[in-house]
Amino acid sequence: MSVNVRHPVAAEGQALEATPFPAQIEFCGVTKTYGQVTAVEGLSLTVQRGEFLTILGPSGSGKTTTLMLLAGFEAPTAGDILIAGKSVASVPSYRRDQGIVFQSYALFPHLSVRRNLDFPLEMRGVKAADTTRRVDRILARVQLSDLGGRMPSQLSGGQQQRVALARALVADPPILLLDEPLSALDRNLREQMQREIKSLHKEFGITTVYVTHDQDEALTLSDRIVVMRAGRIEQTDTPEALYDRPTTRFVAKFLGEANILEDTAVEVESDATRPFGTVAMIRPERICVADPTAPQRSDAIRRQVVAGTVDDMIYAGPLRKYHVRVGTSVLVVREHVASGQQIFRPGDEVRLDWLRSDVRFVAA
Amino acid sequence: MRTLQTLGRMPIGLTVPAFAILIIVFGAPIVLLFLTSLNAPALSIANYQAFLGQQANVRVLFQTIEVSVLATIICIIIGYPTAYLITAAPKRLRMVLLVLVIIPYLTSLLARTYAWIVILGDRGLINNLLLDLGLISSPLPLIYNRVAVYIGMVHIMLPVMILPLVSVMLGIDKSLVAAACSMGARPFAAFWRVFLPLSLPGVRSGSLLVFVLCLGFYITPAALGGLRDVMLSTFIAAQVATSFNMARTAAAAFILLGIAAVIVSALGLDLSDTPGRAEQPPRKSWRRRLPSFGTLTRNLNELAKPYRAKRWAAELYQVGGDGRDRKIVGTVFVLIVMFYLLFPGVVVITMSFNAGTFLQFPPSSLSLRWYRSFFGDPSWTTAALTSIQIGVAVVILSTIVGMLAAYGLSRTVPRLRAILTMMLLTPITFPSIVVGIAAYFGLLNLGLIGTITGIILTHCIGAVGYVVVIVSATLGNFDRRLELAAKSMRAGPLRTFMKVTLPLIWPGVMGGAVFAFIHSFDEVVKTSLISGFSIRTLPLKMWENMRHEIDPTIAAVASLLIFLPLLWLVALYVTWWRSRPKDQLAVPQL
Ligand SMILES: Nc1ncnc2c1ncn2[C@@H]1O[C@H](COP(=O)(O)OP(=O)(O)OP(=O)(O)O)[C@@H](O)[C@H]1O
Ligand SMILES: [Mg+2]
Repeated sequence: MSVNVRHPVAAEGQALEATPFPAQIEFCGVTKTYGQVTAVEGLSLTVQRGEFLTILGPSGSGKTTTLMLLAGFEAPTAGDILIAGKSVASVPSYRRDQGIVFQSYALFPHLSVRRNLDFPLEMRGVKAADTTRRVDRILARVQLSDLGGRMPSQLSGGQQQRVALARALVADPPILLLDEPLSALDRNLREQMQREIKSLHKEFGITTVYVTHDQDEALTLSDRIVVMRAGRIEQTDTPEALYDRPTTRFVAKFLGEANILEDTAVEVESDATRPFGTVAMIRPERICVADPTAPQRSDAIRRQVVAGTVDDMIYAGPLRKYHVRVGTSVLVVREHVASGQQIFRPGDEVRLDWLRSDVRFVAA
Repeated sequence: MRTLQTLGRMPIGLTVPAFAILIIVFGAPIVLLFLTSLNAPALSIANYQAFLGQQANVRVLFQTIEVSVLATIICIIIGYPTAYLITAAPKRLRMVLLVLVIIPYLTSLLARTYAWIVILGDRGLINNLLLDLGLISSPLPLIYNRVAVYIGMVHIMLPVMILPLVSVMLGIDKSLVAAACSMGARPFAAFWRVFLPLSLPGVRSGSLLVFVLCLGFYITPAALGGLRDVMLSTFIAAQVATSFNMARTAAAAFILLGIAAVIVSALGLDLSDTPGRAEQPPRKSWRRRLPSFGTLTRNLNELAKPYRAKRWAAELYQVGGDGRDRKIVGTVFVLIVMFYLLFPGVVVITMSFNAGTFLQFPPSSLSLRWYRSFFGDPSWTTAALTSIQIGVAVVILSTIVGMLAAYGLSRTVPRLRAILTMMLLTPITFPSIVVGIAAYFGLLNLGLIGTITGIILTHCIGAVGYVVVIVSATLGNFDRRLELAAKSMRAGPLRTFMKVTLPLIWPGVMGGAVFAFIHSFDEVVKTSLISGFSIRTLPLKMWENMRHEIDPTIAAVASLLIFLPLLWLVALYVTWWRSRPKDQLAVPQL
């Protein structure tokens, strides 16, 4: 089933449609301070039409503040926010035409599911017959057709979450904002809802800004990820690029595990090319572990080799993780479990090697 | 010891002491009284007919209803915006404003009523000021009329309205309003469709409470109203004093009670239909209906909640022009309300340092003369000592009995718990003149009229009600699994209670004790009936003074009573606030 999506802004400028991803949301040097606290500082960011953008960062990094600024619940201290090319500084939240899914769902406890879904349409002055039709359609889409008469308190967590999504989408807003929408759900339900959100995003083609502190969620869902730290953007990139080519040590450590070779005092052979102010980093799965007596690999000439002793081995389903002591420091090594593999025990001598091209230089 | 253990195994048994006192002092007498009013065993409604047959009585009846309804409406009109603004204020300011509302709430009713006499009287603050300015040549009739009654009653009732409102409003998730705005609702629509419906439970409990208290109001209307502003309570009290026709008096009391019941159930039913109730877990709903003190406890818990959970637009930011104007209007409004609530107290305290023979504002010169007069006059000091003595006895008895009852109730099935709690609360929910007459009747048969014991027992039934409400609210937050854990470690029921439960509900117990003392220390209506003119408590002596000569000593007494709430606040702060971190440990936060 497909839902016909009309973006009010799309009608305004045909020129915009020529480019595949015209800018939908633009932050231009936005700063927000609360008294002494700077929650967001000099934030510049462009979100393309139809894009799924995730803001990822540790607690207190300013993610919620960014979303509140976009939603119009807070005003920037400095800088400007453009939506579809126009400044929204003087546009109050109720005129911004965005769907928002709140962390706590924010379903109106005094209204039934159906009345909750009616609300955004009613506020936009949609006719009653039309409202019923659209609410029916979206209820069917999120598989809640039978529950329209229930009160929110009579729904399970996952059902409430779907009502919240449906309510944000029912009025066909051009922009959807989600603030940690899945953090209250258990793991299975969370994965199910991730698929649901992903498929709704595809279907509606809606520009989505998603806030989370869960890196897996960010990697699974997003077209692009913005990593924030202490109110500033650390890096913006596609999930692959962010994982493969982090530009800073913070990003490298925040997304996945990273061996910072400076910390581990392993001398990096390719150090000659290391730019000033950076450190070398290698991902645990890029390191191969082998018996010291095993023959060298065919591409040994492109590899760096170090010797070490296994400190610890952790078995985690499809993965095996070694902590290998090299000199005075410890490297983390991860390998996929395969048949015929040699398994090392704590105390075993091993040889570690990696492609020099897999070493990344990240800002210290 | 054995019986205690059996009681421990049968939780309902713990309510026995509370019900024993209640039934002896109030329950049995009120039933007997009802039968008397029906001329039992003949069973006729002659007494009721006689009461309603007199034009004057019917007028008093309607007047009572009219005054109560109007006072409640005024309280809603002033209280709702005040509560809204307090809720919307930044955290620290909100704390301050709440304390400013709680101070008058904890202040002696007599002292506050006296303050209005001082302000509105013919030689009072306003008239003196106007006379001095030469704007008028003879005093304006500000007091002893209906307007004065409303000014005084609303002043007394406003905190009772505001506190449950604030508590409910603080509980409303602000992200709901933010959500409404994000869906295109203008601020007014968001308020009207989302905030207002969710705040209605607060309006309901506030209005019910105010209305019922107004119906039984005695002191303030009698002190500030004229001869034509008699309320039914005053009327009944006068009847008790003059005629000894118990049946007639009883009929009047039951008519008052009947009106309270009818209007309360009508109002209660009407508003309780709001769909918002469906969202309340059933466990909580019975406590919902016990307003005031439970809400005060929850109130303070609310304040302790971490800020982060409600991060989404805690204050609704108003983009565009009118935000500023609105802010100014709001500030001015709150300032006026706070002035109204607190100014009378300030006036009385200032007056009490007056050096002259007459009360003057501002005082021409300062002295401690009236304080000396208070401490030097045995009739005042004896009265004060009697009151303290009674208060302490009431606190000890009612705290123990009430705590046991609350604990027992918390472990019975919800339906039974609701009914039993309602019964224990009748002494504070029924108009106090009705309670007073029933107690008078009961204690008369026991020969306890005119004894300290009689007064203590009478105060106790009300005080137990307060203790039960507050301790129950605390027990609601108490994690029952802690007791199971203690029992698994071989602690018997008694030791579990003493070592685990009691320390954790201690703040509630202390809160209950404070309210029990306040209840006893400020009680006039019932005490005046039970004392039989032979015992003088401080409130009785004050009341006598207020009605006859205005001895300026009373200003000193009232001032001391106004300072008392500060003491209570410190006590409550020490027990409630300091125990917060422990609470938070006990309730893991998401
Ligand atoms: N109203 C406020 N007043 C003062 N400081 C605030 C306010 N709102 C946010 N802050 C501060 O701004 C910073 C960013 O907060 P924000 O809520 O945006 O973080 P976040 O990235 O959403 O964190 P989390 O993952 O915990 O939700 C924090 O240091 C926070 O304490
Ligand atoms: Mg956040």
